[in-house]
Amino acid sequence: MPLRSTERGWGALVRTFHWLVAALILAQGVIGLTMVQMGLTPAKVRVFALHKSIGMTILALVLLRIAWRLTERRPADPPVMPPWQRRAAHAVHVALYLLILAIPLSGWWFNSASNAPLVWFGWFDLPSLTGGLDPVWKPRALLLHQTLFWILVALLVIHVGAALWHHFRQRDDVLLRMVVSPRKKSGET
Amino acid sequence: MKQMTGCLCAVALLAFAAPALAKTWQVDAAHSTLTFTNTYQNVEYTGQFRRFDANIAYDPNDLAHAKFDVSVDVSSLDTQNSERDHTALGADFFDASKFPKAHFITIAFHKAAGGKVIAYGTLTLHGVSKPVSLTVAFAPHGDTATLDVTAQLKRLDFGIGTGQWADPSMIGDGVTVRGHLTLRSPR
Repeated sequence: MPLRSTERGWGALVRTFHWLVAALILAQGVIGLTMVQMGLTPAKVRVFALHKSIGMTILALVLLRIAWRLTERRPADPPVMPPWQRRAAHAVHVALYLLILAIPLSGWWFNSASNAPLVWFGWFDLPSLTGGLDPVWKPRALLLHQTLFWILVALLVIHVGAALWHHFRQRDDVLLRMVVSPRKKSGET
Repeated sequence: MKQMTGCLCAVALLAFAAPALAKTWQVDAAHSTLTFTNTYQNVEYTGQFRRFDANIAYDPNDLAHAKFDVSVDVSSLDTQNSERDHTALGADFFDASKFPKAHFITIAFHKAAGGKVIAYGTLTLHGVSKPVSLTVAFAPHGDTATLDVTAQLKRLDFGIGTGQWADPSMIGDGVTVRGHLTLRSPR
């Protein structure tokens, strides 16, 4: 199972990043939308702490993913894809990277401006980005965090929809190659 | 004449009988703070009470007549986090609408070994009165002085955040209270 991506498919590391971050984003969406409805109890405080910890985990994973991306190629697009589809697909991918960087950062910013603690899974403190309470930027950071989340939801609908369209309508391997190891070229062992 | 003599005697007697206090000071509120340090999710934070009245009579050479009488406006709590402040003032914690004032009054002062001064008193907070001792550091500078006091409290002793909020890993039980007062001689 190759760790690195090839001309024909994604390496094991990229596929792990992809599905791990996908699962964490799904969990974050559910947790985030649920936690704001909770009455103030210690459970709510713990769920907020969990949301913050998962968010910081996603931020770290995405930074690692981008660093890894800079060291290797990406598989070729299916040759039948028209140029506008390639451009659209790549634009959505770039936007997804930007969003999954910006959403945890805006959450961290909101948390800092609220002067709330940020302890990664109860293990270590992360520094404040604002150096304490910032009542001016606090509501703006929250609005940004929420707005970017809904933009992410919209782009994920496009991303998942396009993946399913490739698989079921185009019957190409765009979705499958994010699931399974690249097939070996004939002649390789 | 006899009446007048009697009157003078009464005045003299009153003056003598009046409780002799150590030097009284005026508190410069703008340069005085009442802060506390606690932990939230095991992260230390510092808050303060922005409004308090302190009546201070203190002379390090006359501890027998020293007296601190401090009244704190609980709703002036500020931990630089509006959600936390709102919660802290609510019924689960300080319950400020029911107990708007906290009060500390000294009973006695004692000079411990090493010259450290301890003030013993009673703190009434959240409807609970408990003995509390302060370590006192007093530094005179001519007509002014600074008075720094420190106390160690346990929030649960005063019934603040009991029940589901009692877990000290969520909110620490120990609270360090620090008063820093700038004092001026009355004119």
